[in-house]
Amino acid sequence: MITRRNLLAGSAAGIAASAAGFTLLPAALQAQGMPTVKEVLFDPEIPVLGNPKGDVTIAEFFDYQCPYCKKAHPDLMEVVKADGNIRLVMKDWPIFGAPSFHAATMALAAQKSGAYPAAVAALMATDGRLSLEEINTALRGAGLDPAALQAAHDKKPDWINGILRRNDAQAEAFRFGGTPSYIVGTRIYNGVMDKKALLSAIADARKG
Amino acid sequence: MIRDSHTENTALRTIVRRLASLLLCLFVWTLPAGAAPLPVDEAFALHVSEAPDGGLAFQWKIAPGYYLYREHIEAKTADGGAPLPLETGAGIAKDDPNFGTTEIYYASAEATLAAPGDAPIALTYQGCQEDGICYRPETRVIDPLTLAVTAQGGLVAPKLSLWTPSPTATTADPATDRAPESTAAAPAFELAEDPGLIPSLMARGGVILVLAAFPLFGLLLAFTPCVFPMYPIMAGALAREGERLTPRRGFVLSSLYVLGLASAFALLGAAAGWSGQNLQMVLQSPWMAGVLALLFAVLALSMFGLYELQLPARWTNALSRGTGQGSGSKRAAVVLGFSSALIVGPCVTAPLAGALLYIAQTADVTLGAAALFGLGIGKGIPLIVFSTLGGGVLPRAGAWMDTVKQVFGFGFLATAIWMAAPLLPAGLELFLWAALLIGFGTYAFVHWPAERPGVVLARTASLLALLYGAVLTVGAAAGSNDPLKPLAVFAGGGAAGTSAPPLVFAPTGSTETFKAQLAGARGDRPTMIYFTADWCVTCYTIERSVLPAPDVKQALGGFQLVKADVSDVDPANTELMARLKVAGPPTMIFFDKDGKETAGARLVGDINRQTLTASAGLAMER
Repeated sequence: MITRRNLLAGSAAGIAASAAGFTLLPAALQAQGMPTVKEVLFDPEIPVLGNPKGDVTIAEFFDYQCPYCKKAHPDLMEVVKADGNIRLVMKDWPIFGAPSFHAATMALAAQKSGAYPAAVAALMATDGRLSLEEINTALRGAGLDPAALQAAHDKKPDWINGILRRNDAQAEAFRFGGTPSYIVGTRIYNGVMDKKALLSAIADARKG
Repeated sequence: MIRDSHTENTALRTIVRRLASLLLCLFVWTLPAGAAPLPVDEAFALHVSEAPDGGLAFQWKIAPGYYLYREHIEAKTADGGAPLPLETGAGIAKDDPNFGTTEIYYASAEATLAAPGDAPIALTYQGCQEDGICYRPETRVIDPLTLAVTAQGGLVAPKLSLWTPSPTATTADPATDRAPESTAAAPAFELAEDPGLIPSLMARGGVILVLAAFPLFGLLLAFTPCVFPMYPIMAGALAREGERLTPRRGFVLSSLYVLGLASAFALLGAAAGWSGQNLQMVLQSPWMAGVLALLFAVLALSMFGLYELQLPARWTNALSRGTGQGSGSKRAAVVLGFSSALIVGPCVTAPLAGALLYIAQTADVTLGAAALFGLGIGKGIPLIVFSTLGGGVLPRAGAWMDTVKQVFGFGFLATAIWMAAPLLPAGLELFLWAALLIGFGTYAFVHWPAERPGVVLARTASLLALLYGAVLTVGAAAGSNDPLKPLAVFAGGGAAGTSAPPLVFAPTGSTETFKAQLAGARGDRPTMIYFTADWCVTCYTIERSVLPAPDVKQALGGFQLVKADVSDVDPANTELMARLKVAGPPTMIFFDKDGKETAGARLVGDINRQTLTASAGLAMER
C-alpha cells in the first residue's frame, strides 16, 4: 500500500534496503585472536624460575590442587636445573575453586619479597586437595607470612587478578582441557609430561 | 553464538594478530609420545534424559582411566541464578594421599534433578585423566524442554597460529574439537551474520560511504511534507530582505538556515550514538505525534492568515542588533534553521527510525552526529536551490505570497492528518482526507478569479479534489481505510482483506519462552518474531495497514508468529532484545525451520507490504 507514511518511509527504506542489499557481504568471521609468544612466555608480572636468560622457555599452566601437576613437579624442576639453560614460567590457572585461587594469589604475592620460588616449592609439595588453612600452613612452613601476603594483595588486587585473568584467557585461547598443560618453545603439550617427554620436547624446541 | 565476550575482539586487533602470526609462523608438527588426554566430551560423554518422575537424569559414560569428582558436579539456572539441588550417587572414596578424601566416579556417573522447571540449566562437572590431566570445570547448558545440550565453551578455533597444536587437536580439526555436543543438539537459536545498515556501509566503503549516504537519504526526505514548513519560513525570511535580496544573498541566508538545521540534527545523532538507546521511544511516542499533528494544524491556520506566527519581536530585535542589519539576519537564519529542526526532526522519525536504530547500535557519537548532520544538509539542498533561484526572481511580498502561503496551509493540514492517522480510529482518517480535499477544492474554486491567468488549471485541480473527496467519503462510509483504494471494498465483494482470518501472534517476553517457541516449531515451520510497543507509532501503521493485507497474510500464513511487546521495559525482554541484537521496535526477525536466522531478511524501522512479503519469502525458501 502506498499511503501516508509508507510513501515517504518506503522511499527512504527502499534506498536503505538497496544500499544494505548491495553491501550485503558476509561479515568477516571473527576468528579468535591467539596470544603472542611474548604475551604467554614473557609476561613481565610473572617471575621466571630456572635461568631467566635461557634459550628455551617452558610454561606450565597448572593448579596447586591438581594432583598430577604436583606429582610431576619434582621431575620438571630436576630437568630445568640439570639443563641450566631453561626459563621456567609457572602459569597459574586455578580450576579447582577458591583454595586454588588463594594458593596462586599467595605465591604470586610472595615475589615482592623474593620468596616466590620458595612459595611455589612449598605449595607444590603438598598433597591433593587443599583447604585455605592447609595452604597457609604450607606457606608458614617455608618461612612466609600468609597474613602479610594477603594484606599486600588486598592493597593492589588488580595486579595478581590481572595475571590470573591473562593466564585464563590464554588457556582459553589455547583450548587447554585442563592442568597441567605445557608449552615448550612454541609447542603445546596437554597432560603430564615425564622426564623423558620433557627432554625430548626441549630437544625439539632447540631444533626449532 | 552463546559466548559473546570472546568474539568481541575488535576486527583490527584480529587482523594485526593474524599478520603477526603469519610472519612468525613456523609450523613443525611434532607429537610427543604418551597417552594424550582425550577431548573432554570423549572422556566424559554426557547424556541427558527425562527421568520417570518428570525430572532430568544426567549420565556420564566415563572412559577407562578417567574419573569424575562427585563434589564438582553442580547445577544452576543458566542465567547465573540459584544452585539447583542435584542428587548424586555415592562415589568411590579414594583415600589416596594424592586425593585426600574425595569421592570419585569411574566408568559411569549419574545425577538427577527432581524439578527442573522450564529455564535452561547450567550443569558443571570436572574430572581427571589418571596420571595425566585434570580437566577444567566443564559447563553444559541444558534446555529442559528440548533436552538440548549446548557447550558453553567457544566453538571457534583459531585457524592461524604461531603455536604448534596439541596432539589431541591433531586427531581432529581444532574447529570440530568440541563439536559433538554442539551439532548433536543445535543451539536454541542462531543469528545471521547480518551487519546493520551502518556497519555494512562501513564495511563496504568505510566512514566515507556512511557520510555520503546520509545526505542522499536527506535529499529523499526533503520531498516529504514534513520538510514543507521550511519553505514558507525561508520565503518569509527572504521577503523581509526587501530590496537587498539577490541570488547570492538568498544562497548565503538559506545555507546558514540549513547549517542551523543540520546542526540540530547532528545533536540528535550524537544523542542517539551516545545513549545507544532508541530515541524513538521519545520521538515516536503517540504524545509527540499528537503534539506535532496539532503544531502542523496551528501552522496551517497561520498560513490561512488567521494569525501571524513569528519569533517574538524581542528575539528578532536582539538578533538584528549589534553588527548591523546584515549579520543580524544571518544569525537569525541560523537560529531559525536550528529551531525548524524541532518540527522537522520528530516529523521524519518514522522514516528515520531505521537509521536512528542503526546509529544507536553503533554507539558512536561522532559518527552519529556526522551522519545526521549530512542528513540535515541533504534535506536542505532543495531549499538552498529554491532560495538562490528565488532570490533573483521572487516578486516582492503581496497577494502572490498569500496564495503560496495558503497552498502551504493545505500541505500542513495534510501533514497533520498524516501524523495523526495512526492514532485515530481506523475509519476517521479517510473522512479527514475527504474533508481536506473538499476544502481545498472549494478554496481553489472560490479564490481563483476567472480573470486571473491559470484559471483552467486551478479549476481542474479544484474539481479533481472535489471528486476524489467525494469518492473518499463514499469509501469511508463503506468501511474502507485505504485512501488510495477507497472503493476496493466494493470490488472484492466485501471489505478488503477481511477474507482471511487475521494473523495470530503468540506473545513472548523472554529468551527462555522464545527458545521454547522456536524449539516447538523446529523442523516444522519457520518462525517470525515481531518487536512492537505502545509508544511506537510506526508499529501502529504496520499493525493497521501492513499485517492485515491479504498478500501479507498469505506470505506469513506458514509461519509461527511471535510478538514481543516491549512497551514496558523489563530485564527479561531487555535480555531477549540483546540476545537477538534488536535495538528497538519495530523489528521483525525471521528464523528458518532449524531456528537459524535467515540472512538478509531482518526488517528494522519501516516495514511495508513489499519488504515484509519479500523477507517472508526468503525465510520460507530455506
